[in-house]
Amino acid sequence: MSLRARRSSATGPEVGIGWRHPHYASLMEQAPALGFIEVHSENFFAPGGAALAVLREGRERYPVSLHGVGLSLGSALGIDTWHLDQLARLVDAIDPVRVSDHASFARGAPTSGPQIHAADLLPIPTSHEALDVMCANVQRVQDRLKRPIAVENLSAYLRWREADMDEPGFLNTLARRTGCGLLVDVNNVFVNTRNAALRGETSDPLAQSMAWLDAIDPDAVVELHLAGHADLGDIVIDDHGSRVGEPVWALYAHALRRFGAVPTLIEWDTDVPALAVLLDEAQCAREHALQALATEEVE
Amino acid sequence: MNTAGSSSLAAAQHALLQALFARPASAAADEAEARLGALLDPAQHPQSDRGLSAYRSNGHALAERALQAAYPVVAAVLGDDGFAMLARALWHRHPPQRGDLALWGEALADTVQDDLQLAELPWLADVARVEWALHRAASDTDRWPDPGSFALLQTQDPGGVRLVPAPGLTLVHSPWPVVSIVNAHLHAEPPLEEAWRRCHGGVHETALVWRQGFRPCVQAIPPADAALLAGIRDGSSLAQALDAACAAADTTGSTFDFGTWLAAAVQDGLVLGAALEPLPSTPLEIPR
Repeated sequence: MSLRARRSSATGPEVGIGWRHPHYASLMEQAPALGFIEVHSENFFAPGGAALAVLREGRERYPVSLHGVGLSLGSALGIDTWHLDQLARLVDAIDPVRVSDHASFARGAPTSGPQIHAADLLPIPTSHEALDVMCANVQRVQDRLKRPIAVENLSAYLRWREADMDEPGFLNTLARRTGCGLLVDVNNVFVNTRNAALRGETSDPLAQSMAWLDAIDPDAVVELHLAGHADLGDIVIDDHGSRVGEPVWALYAHALRRFGAVPTLIEWDTDVPALAVLLDEAQCAREHALQALATEEVE
Repeated sequence: MNTAGSSSLAAAQHALLQALFARPASAAADEAEARLGALLDPAQHPQSDRGLSAYRSNGHALAERALQAAYPVVAAVLGDDGFAMLARALWHRHPPQRGDLALWGEALADTVQDDLQLAELPWLADVARVEWALHRAASDTDRWPDPGSFALLQTQDPGGVRLVPAPGLTLVHSPWPVVSIVNAHLHAEPPLEEAWRRCHGGVHETALVWRQGFRPCVQAIPPADAALLAGIRDGSSLAQALDAACAAADTTGSTFDFGTWLAAAVQDGLVLGAALEPLPSTPLEIPR
């Protein structure tokens, strides 16, 4: 099974939106044209109830992308068998167009007591050891699901001392060794370089973000994410709580010219606005994409 | 696979989790931060302190949101600040163990019960137990009515037939009018003033929680109903469950009319059918 779903430059990419609780009913009522809808896998792990029924209804109308936030693919503890069992059951029930999670960890075991799951996307070092762990964990998930998954780059607010390679090199090697796809979150790239600018490491975060994208293997990229972020003055946070910013649109255009018409998701998880706002963001993504891809053809 | 061992990756991840979950402003938190600091890129300092603070804040916000969804009545009783403090305390004392936050928070009732500052609200722990039962019932395994199966009650001996309970069926025995308090907050029925009157009047209630279709429900039930439903929930035969119900009715000097009870239970979606074998166990507890 392939994760690759690029469309021609003329039609632009499939554009989807994150389908969150406030829009369960309105999306079904309005049934707008969307390339796909995305949900957080863990919100549908329960064996029954209304949420699962709603997702089944959504699946009858749209392709569904199952995006996980809790597999903890970078955990030295390995994959939680219980978590993988729930995900496998959901994949069987929904037959998603893509399954993805993050290059992060959340699970650990204190010296005494049960394991902890931090319910967050915590950064992992770009070390050989972490790469080996990621590859083993991704492979285990793919073997169980019998399909390749996509792995997303993080917005990280800590950086480990141990680093044997840069982040694009880490992700490219992960994709090459496991056959997984890469889900490139354009906003995350920009958030990281904005924070680097706050530390005085770069004077041009946009250029540094473009260089990051240029270092990613285009053949591995299967999905792009767009979202808003919050500038708190001393740190920039990827809060998914506002419209996509102009620099991120510029990066998106750069990404499309490099990666092609890759399926694109509008994410909005904090202070979720009216569905019309999300659909307008999706339309903006289509227009930016068509413009960027037309420019590519002229060039 | 378990690659934890003594690897540097495992040590780094352990250090970050300890720094995030150590009780804030404690000696343990200071030690955990110092251990973590030695593993982080010094070029990022002091932004890494801000980053750690951002992860902590996100954890606290997640804790509040997750518990608010499960415990709306406890949240209303304690108010925003009080509930936020409780959520943070639970986050650090009983961190999540699984990647599905809907499963986290069961320990809130015991935490409330053990909190001396909440001693003036002695009924709050049982309110939390009822709310947790409602929360878990909402996502229990789907099961639908099978009216035709009730014919087994006519053809089979009560010792060989079982009633099929609704999803999420749970009983909470309380020395407080816990159902009145929950329903007063969720549905204004009874009014809050009446719930407090029952509270001060020494009324105690057994809460029955179940799911009707996709809607979690709660109501107060008498001892005979509770005994019958406990048997049904545990997979006892109808004969055994009825014996327990009649014995419970005897202790209160009342009688138990199964026919009347069954008609109401079917209408309320409390029992969905009859079966010769007990249902496979579908525990609501988190697997360990």
